[in-house]
Amino acid sequence: MTGQDHALCSHCLLPVGRRAMRRTVNGEACAFCCYGCCIAYQIKSGKTEEWEAAWLLIRLGVGGFLSMNIMLFSLLLYTDPFNGADAAMLPWIHLLLWLLATPAVIILGGPFLRETWFHAVQGRLTSSALIVLGVGAAYLYSAFAVIEHSPKVYFDTASMVLMLFTVGYYLDAAGRARAARDLQPLLAAESEWATVVNGDGEYRRPVREVGRSMLVRVRPGERIPVDGVIKEGESHIDEAVITGESRQIAKGVGSDVIAGSINLDGPLLIQSSGVADATRWAQICQSVRDALSRRSPSQRLADTIVSIFVPIILVLGVGTSVYWAQHLPFDRALLIGLAVLVVACPCAVGLAAPMATSLGIGRLARHGCLVRDPATLEVLARMRLIAFDKTGTLTSGRARVVAIDSDGTNADEVLARAAGLERHSEHGLARAVTAAAAARGLQPVAIRDVRVVAGRGIRGSSDGRTVAAGSAALMHELGWSLVPDLAERGRSREASGHSVIYVGWGERVHAVLSLDDTPLPEARATVEALRHRGVRVTLLTGDLPAAAQRIAAAVGIESGDIEAGLAPRAKCAALDWRRHDHGLVAMVGDGLNDAPVLVGADVGIAVGSATDLARETASVVLPLGGLWTLPWVIDVARAVRTTILTNLMWAFGYNLVAVGLAMVGLLQPVLAAAVMAGSSIVVVLNSLRLERLPDPSPMSEQQSVAEAERAPAPRSAAVAVIAGQVIQRG
Amino acid sequence: MTAHLVIFVAGFAGSFHCIGMCGGFACALGRDPQGRGATVLRHLLYNMGRLTTYCFLGGLAGALGQVICTSQGSTVPLLSGPLDTAQRILAILAGLLMIAMALQFFGLLPRLHRVAPGFGASTLAASMRGLLAAPGRAAPLAFGVFNGFLPCPLVYSFAAQAASTAGALPGFLTMTAFGLGTFPAMLLMGGVGRALAPAWRQRGVWLAGSCILLLGLVTVGRGILPFAAHIAHGWPGGYPA
Repeated sequence: MTGQDHALCSHCLLPVGRRAMRRTVNGEACAFCCYGCCIAYQIKSGKTEEWEAAWLLIRLGVGGFLSMNIMLFSLLLYTDPFNGADAAMLPWIHLLLWLLATPAVIILGGPFLRETWFHAVQGRLTSSALIVLGVGAAYLYSAFAVIEHSPKVYFDTASMVLMLFTVGYYLDAAGRARAARDLQPLLAAESEWATVVNGDGEYRRPVREVGRSMLVRVRPGERIPVDGVIKEGESHIDEAVITGESRQIAKGVGSDVIAGSINLDGPLLIQSSGVADATRWAQICQSVRDALSRRSPSQRLADTIVSIFVPIILVLGVGTSVYWAQHLPFDRALLIGLAVLVVACPCAVGLAAPMATSLGIGRLARHGCLVRDPATLEVLARMRLIAFDKTGTLTSGRARVVAIDSDGTNADEVLARAAGLERHSEHGLARAVTAAAAARGLQPVAIRDVRVVAGRGIRGSSDGRTVAAGSAALMHELGWSLVPDLAERGRSREASGHSVIYVGWGERVHAVLSLDDTPLPEARATVEALRHRGVRVTLLTGDLPAAAQRIAAAVGIESGDIEAGLAPRAKCAALDWRRHDHGLVAMVGDGLNDAPVLVGADVGIAVGSATDLARETASVVLPLGGLWTLPWVIDVARAVRTTILTNLMWAFGYNLVAVGLAMVGLLQPVLAAAVMAGSSIVVVLNSLRLERLPDPSPMSEQQSVAEAERAPAPRSAAVAVIAGQVIQRG
Repeated sequence: MTAHLVIFVAGFAGSFHCIGMCGGFACALGRDPQGRGATVLRHLLYNMGRLTTYCFLGGLAGALGQVICTSQGSTVPLLSGPLDTAQRILAILAGLLMIAMALQFFGLLPRLHRVAPGFGASTLAASMRGLLAAPGRAAPLAFGVFNGFLPCPLVYSFAAQAASTAGALPGFLTMTAFGLGTFPAMLLMGGVGRALAPAWRQRGVWLAGSCILLLGLVTVGRGILPFAAHIAHGWPGGYPA
């Protein structure tokens, strides 16, 4: 929305493409995608004291006044022909009409003429050329008719066509502004203002000037401009943009707030915790802006069609006139040709896709789901197979201690020692061990001389005795004895896909810790919802088959659809192979370690890492913890595609029928102009139906799962489970 | 002719209602610094713009009615003459619409929220204020033209009446009568100022409502009763407006 950004129309936020009209409004350079947006924007945002905006309205008003008068006088002519004694009046009335029509045509037709001229200079023929040619012909013919005292003039046609087009364009653009109203906040991150509070008062500053630890005041209803911590006040906050879920979250002093979320009902004082343009919100805005200014393949196709459409219609219009001129009086033939030119404006075709995709992209972005470009939406709507990565996507990606097998030693003692060692390590499994100990309230045993044995484990000493935790290989190296029973248990755990840590001290292995990844609570419902939408779900993972099977069973993926033990390259191959059978395929990953596979898929969907969009590894990014939004995203993509298809069908169907009717002479030019203006409004209205799509609702998706998942319980309660599973052997 | 008189009266009475909205505009249009003549011209231009729009809407509505009833092809004079089926249906619909509007004037119907499609009408209304201050002769004219298009139950009622005439010309005449009826009050507003007792405004609204109700009833009757036209035609001494 800034002055420098000219990829998007200042009014409707659709890409302006090559059709751009440039104007200066309120001292700011603006670009518009069409004349309608130009009018609507000036009417909406032109400052009233600005002469330019008022001047536009005056021109339109006077033009309307003139053409309405022309219409009324013509009405008089049509219904009550001057005959007999009044016949002498006729030329005078014609002259009056001419006098009224000349300024009307100049005022209303000027913009069309100017556009035609600019495009002609660039060597292009656009729809405005059709209007100019048609109206110009009607006007010139009528002017000659007045001079030659012939009985028929068509000033009313000329001026009404212009007026209808102007009004139609305006209504069209006004409708599109409704779409823009939703997109606007998503583009405004950098240009937004924040109320900064310092010692001596409050100042409005651009968001990018807000630095770390500055105080920012956020009033109810405003969007929170920076990441930070609440210092004063309490309020409900809607974080849909970040989490995908539209829900009121109560926050008070000390709570963290995220930029982009909306402060609903209480004034807040926030201490900024970072720089404003590095927030996820800023990233979202940037990605939406990028996505909006890209063109989809279907849009490019439509544009190509439009560009060859105009010359064809020109030829058809002129041809029709010439043909009819041999059978009918010249003026009738001229009007038929005019109707052909006027009715065939390809505006609806040009508008079919961009508005629908923009609405879709904006809609998704408001729930934190980012899409790289319109083409992605199209693919997403058509694909019928989704492959999931396991770790971090269907599972939490964080290991958990699920069982402790010991030789009779107390489980707490084992954990305390293991935690004492593992707290010195950064390994993912190590953190799981310390977390398990902490959750049970255990004090880790103090251990010195800690040494990490690469790839094997970790060792140290406590009370003069060596303590070690790690793989069987480490225990073997140390030459420690392992009770056969315990060894057997460890092997079987390992075989079923668990990660295993042997813990020993005093020259002996005392216990085996089994760790496992847990499926996300929403995974099952998501898989079910996808299947419900006719999408086949498969699992491609680098993990052991047994682990893959267990997770697959938990989330409801059939065993035939699992491939385990795949290296990244093999995953790509597996995707290619599936592409043979299913056409387009999508891949869902966490974006961290599966980037090449995401790139390899037709749509790469990353959960939670927005940077992937910038790196172009993924073309769709879901919010962190937002796997559940995936079915909804597909719904939106499909709705957008349906809308585009119906729009195109309507636009082409309408043009075929209308041009046909006009060529046979069944369509009055004025009626043709009205129909034409209506046709693009139909496209706008049809696209606006997308606004009525339901929001994503995590509750309904998760309800069934919530019941099923209650047994394994949330992570914080893991300890209770462990305690139950501890097997003590003596 | 009597019917047009009733419409004129309804327009005149109804314009006291208009003072709420359009009268505010007329006041805001204010005086021209160049003297009395310029002020009068300014307001005449404004009202002419408004009248043109009304007439145009009337002609349009009438033509629309004609398209619907095109089977017959011939137009009938207002409130008289024989009617075919399509015209009857049109008359009933238009009459019902008018009665609904009249009841709304009496406060007997809940206000129809946003009758007009919101397509840019409100933004247009907001930005029109810019025209009030704009210099030149063209601004009040343009302002009047847009003013005429602003959603207003009174205008809707008479547009419906115009449509029921099923002819562009009679439709045009209907709205002309209505538009001319609104002239005095609006001119008065502009010239004299804003001093009009609320009680008078209320009376005006009631009178306008009665006129619309009467016209609506007659229009519906025209659709239902085969001889209603004759009654209307032969009503001695015009209408008890």
